[in-house]
Amino acid sequence: MGTQTLPKDPFNIIITGVGGQGNVLASRVLANMLVHRGYDVTIGETFGASQRGGSVMSHIRVSARGAWSPQIPRGKADMVVSLEPVEAIRVMKDYGNEEVRILVNDRPIYPVGVIAGELNYPAQDEIAGALTDLSRHVWFIDATEEAIRLGNPILGNVIMIGAACGLGILPVGRAEFAEVMKESLAADKLEINLTAFDLGAAKSAAAA
Amino acid sequence: MSKLIDPREGVRVLLMGNEAIVRGALEAGVNVAAGYPGTPSSEIVQNLADVAGERNLYVEWSVNEKVAMEVAAAASFAKLRSLCAMKQNGVNVASDFLLHLTAAGTRGGMVLVTCDDPGALSSVNEGESRHFARMVEVPLLEPGDFQEAKDMTKWAFELSEEIRNLVVLRSVTRMSHASGNVTLGKLSDARPKAEFKYDGFILDPLEGPVVSAPVPYKHTLQQEKLKRVREIFETSPFNTYAGPEKPELLVVTSSACTLYSREAIDILGVKDRVGLLKLGTTWPLPPELLKKRLAAADRVLVVEEVIPFLEENVKILAAETAREIGAKTFFGKNDGTLPSIGELNPDLIAAAIAKILGIDHVAMPPDYEKKATLMSFAKAPNRELTFCPGCPHRASFWAIHHALLMDNRLGFVCGDIGCYSMAALPCGFSTLKTLHAMGSGAGVASGFGQLHRFGMEQPAMTVCGDSTFFASVMPALVNAIHHRADLTVVVLDNSGTAMTGFQPHPGLKVNAMGGDVPALDIAGICAAMGAKVEVRDPFQLEETRGTLIRLLDQKGVKVLIMRQMCALSPEKRAKKKYEVRVDEALCLGETCGCNRLCTRVFRCPGLVWDKERKKARVDEVLCAGCGVCALICPAGAIRKEEVA
Amino acid sequence: MEMTIMGQKELQERVHRAQLCTGCGACVNLCPYQVFYQDQTIVLDACDIKEGRCFAFCPRTPADLEAMRGRFFAPGDLTPEIGAVKGYLIARAADATIRRGAQHGGTVSALMALALAEGLIDTAIVAEGADRFLQQGVAVGDGAEVLKRGKSRFIAAATVAAFNRAAKGPAEAIGVVATPCQVFALAKMRMKPLPERDNNIDKLKLVIGLFCGWALDWRKFTALLAARTALEDITGMDIPQGRRLVVIYTRNGDIEIPWDEVAPIAREACGVCIDTTAEFADLSVGSARIGEPWETTRTWNQVIVRTEAGQALIDLARRKGVLEFRESPAGALDELKAAARDKKKASLEKIIARTGSPEDLIYMDRRDPVIRAILD
Repeated sequence: MGTQTLPKDPFNIIITGVGGQGNVLASRVLANMLVHRGYDVTIGETFGASQRGGSVMSHIRVSARGAWSPQIPRGKADMVVSLEPVEAIRVMKDYGNEEVRILVNDRPIYPVGVIAGELNYPAQDEIAGALTDLSRHVWFIDATEEAIRLGNPILGNVIMIGAACGLGILPVGRAEFAEVMKESLAADKLEINLTAFDLGAAKSAAAA
Repeated sequence: MSKLIDPREGVRVLLMGNEAIVRGALEAGVNVAAGYPGTPSSEIVQNLADVAGERNLYVEWSVNEKVAMEVAAAASFAKLRSLCAMKQNGVNVASDFLLHLTAAGTRGGMVLVTCDDPGALSSVNEGESRHFARMVEVPLLEPGDFQEAKDMTKWAFELSEEIRNLVVLRSVTRMSHASGNVTLGKLSDARPKAEFKYDGFILDPLEGPVVSAPVPYKHTLQQEKLKRVREIFETSPFNTYAGPEKPELLVVTSSACTLYSREAIDILGVKDRVGLLKLGTTWPLPPELLKKRLAAADRVLVVEEVIPFLEENVKILAAETAREIGAKTFFGKNDGTLPSIGELNPDLIAAAIAKILGIDHVAMPPDYEKKATLMSFAKAPNRELTFCPGCPHRASFWAIHHALLMDNRLGFVCGDIGCYSMAALPCGFSTLKTLHAMGSGAGVASGFGQLHRFGMEQPAMTVCGDSTFFASVMPALVNAIHHRADLTVVVLDNSGTAMTGFQPHPGLKVNAMGGDVPALDIAGICAAMGAKVEVRDPFQLEETRGTLIRLLDQKGVKVLIMRQMCALSPEKRAKKKYEVRVDEALCLGETCGCNRLCTRVFRCPGLVWDKERKKARVDEVLCAGCGVCALICPAGAIRKEEVA
Repeated sequence: MEMTIMGQKELQERVHRAQLCTGCGACVNLCPYQVFYQDQTIVLDACDIKEGRCFAFCPRTPADLEAMRGRFFAPGDLTPEIGAVKGYLIARAADATIRRGAQHGGTVSALMALALAEGLIDTAIVAEGADRFLQQGVAVGDGAEVLKRGKSRFIAAATVAAFNRAAKGPAEAIGVVATPCQVFALAKMRMKPLPERDNNIDKLKLVIGLFCGWALDWRKFTALLAARTALEDITGMDIPQGRRLVVIYTRNGDIEIPWDEVAPIAREACGVCIDTTAEFADLSVGSARIGEPWETTRTWNQVIVRTEAGQALIDLARRKGVLEFRESPAGALDELKAAARDKKKASLEKIIARTGSPEDLIYMDRRDPVIRAILD
């Protein structure tokens, strides 16, 4: 799995979601995997107030040429890994183009305005419609559902990382994931994380 | 083991800007670090505290930034290496000490790391700290990438020792909180002994007393140090140039704008036309280096955040040396090429360069842009900021805003900085009516509390957090009590500095390094000052409201401490107090008599309005189990059951 | 004058902030958004319901008075000055103890206690003194509790709020002692303007109205009193017939306050009220005017019987010997009507002065026959 070179340099990945979903953790894992393969990685993130229910975006720039702007230039995302459905639409407004590979976790997190009954949250097919209108490569992954089946919703992030790798575009895969996980996790947790990774990778490989 | 103390020299790791700064400080052998939590700086002191044991450091969350700088200064006077870190506002708080510190000089290397927040991503201002370096006449360094963040920090200590004065290292959110590859250097093994020498000759910088007087002498010395720094900066590796010898346009930049500018040039494909002068040493400017590059171009674009500090300094130099380098056309903020507010990004800079060079540049095809914008507007509902489920502030402001209405004299609350700043928004029932700096709520309110003599009948209130109380509210409280202001102070005591990541403060029994320390009692302090003090649990809504109404009616200074732990604190997160559910049969929903009080007005994210069933329900995943919503439901439909 | 039912926003604009709120409490305890606190109706949070019960029940929003009269009263009984008069009596509680505990003749207390004792109602809503000299409505279940609460403080008690609360609970048959604005609010409720969402109004079985000229502003009145005596020492107050003053009875003697000091501190909303005799009650009761010295007169009430329910209660009271009666002097009813007519006229003229137009009576219909009878 994985290619040896980057499809373009810098290759721009956005991991997006809602504050508290483990967005930052996911971006670190993926970034470290790439660093392990010798790439220069720049991550740009928004912390602070965005944690209190707001959107969170991590911009990951992968390059062989050094550091880049922590914010991806307009319209230049190459891959969007969205831990929440409407956040994918939101990032496409500033960073989208028709060739972006979009992976979407299909489990909604309702904004306060929606649960207060004031704003509308679009149905899944509306979201799918919007995204396929904006890009030719859109895949929905039931990451949270699978993660719950595996025993912990937070594994949804790992499933999404696996899915990102499973597309076969990134120069990293399971081996790098295992390396990075070994550095930070207790041995007994590694197994379940690898299972989650494989699950995600299989889903996107099948869909792509 | 934390990669911050990884001993392997030459290894490449991914580090956040703040982590890189920490690593740089450890490589320089820092001994003492102090600060006050403030986004985007907080990780610096936090990470140093986490490795304090292994690296034999003393690390402190000081009560405020002024004291933090003083604590770090003491270490420097005793020949240790010290660092203090703060966000832009912290420098304002510490500024009087900063002025005297830099006038008197330092001994052991001392670095002030300031983290500005262009675009106010986590602040209610986008103030600048760079001007302080110029104003107090000390060197200013700005890392342009993550490797530099580490290397510059390490070198800053050396520079500080060479000139025996403070060095300022300025970062920004997009550097501090962004991450990139860093090659690790060697950790320092130095273990200096702290010793404060003071008996030497009065003018001896290393053995005399540490004073900023005699002012003419000391000030002259300070300026001579700066001249020396200018020389050093001429050959600094942190100032780089890339591009043609005679560029059509010279871009002068620093800090995170370096990465944006480089990318903008790459996007436009103009690296053979545009020269990029990246400055890591931005005060004082190295004149020869600048003259050389300015002379080679007619047009100059200065790229920086936020206000034109670098731009104006470059222009001054250009004006002074005009005969040598020729007249220039400057672009930047003062002529409107770049915005004077907010953070920059590659697109803004690309647009500026494109305009200057007459290039057609379109970042996103207009049709796509229109389509994507419409989609986002129609299909991506806005995520408003709100208090977490179970947050005591939601309950506190429920009681406060009702009490003020029932008091019926157009009373108001002067706000302060913390999570509860959000009480200016609907999630806090738009209760705050003024909002400025840390501790300002009490000061402003104590001013309002004197205006009854001019016919003002509106009762003034202020709120502050437990951490803010110690940081800067206490003097304002003394002021109010001593001058007999009429004021009601609410201290929102949630046992931590929540907004910035739950750091400890003097009201808690634990400190930054996890040590056991005495906790100061806020109630006792206020009573000793002479305020009337009461303590309530904000989750007891009616009792709290009743207490507030009673206090509002009284003259003098009254302090109500609303004590309830933050929903994100480890103790709270571990376990729910109540299982909460909505009895659909009783839920009145949209009908007259309720009109969705819990989801529409109270607005806790744990409560969801089910549009299909037209009933409220509890989201078990988000609900924190505080049970407060059960108290407000007019139909008694929200049921809470204590968890065994 | 539009009859549309509106919402909280309009209620605030057109009543609360327009100095028209009487503090009756009709908009309170229907929902969490309004409270009555320290003599004021307070809105705690905004409600955006388009047609709210608060607006519908408020006595100061538009109402079809003719329809209401037609619903509750026999057309032959109606008078333009004082509403329906099925009967007019001078009465008082037969028990002197009751009279001593009451404001005047104790008729109201005696009738309410009787209604409870006979099981006509299981709950009586009456006003009682609260702390800091405020008044509040309270629900009581037996006659003894009613008798304890016989005296007036001339301050608004949000009695209808107490009804709204009681109606949500286990009470099945409720009687209310109320001032004219409160009586009117209850009558509006009985019309069920928003039938899908009434406030259990069918539980209301009996309304005894009180004659009323005004209620005083609590803040100003307590300031006035506190300047002359300790509030805790006050045992009662009254307006003696024929003298332009208010008498405050205290443990240390009587205090007289000249009328000129009291009149300006009436609630502003009372100045435009056209109902001094609680026209929409089953029975209305006030202090008698019988041409005797005040010491005697003050122990008697004048009673207007308006409905069959009111008549039945009076008959019961007569049969049981709970009330005693005397002849009403000639002209007493005419005198009452004349006084009522004068107040109606004065109030309507105040409204016209406010609006600047004789056709615009804010919440009242210029074409209403009673209003035409007074103004034309």
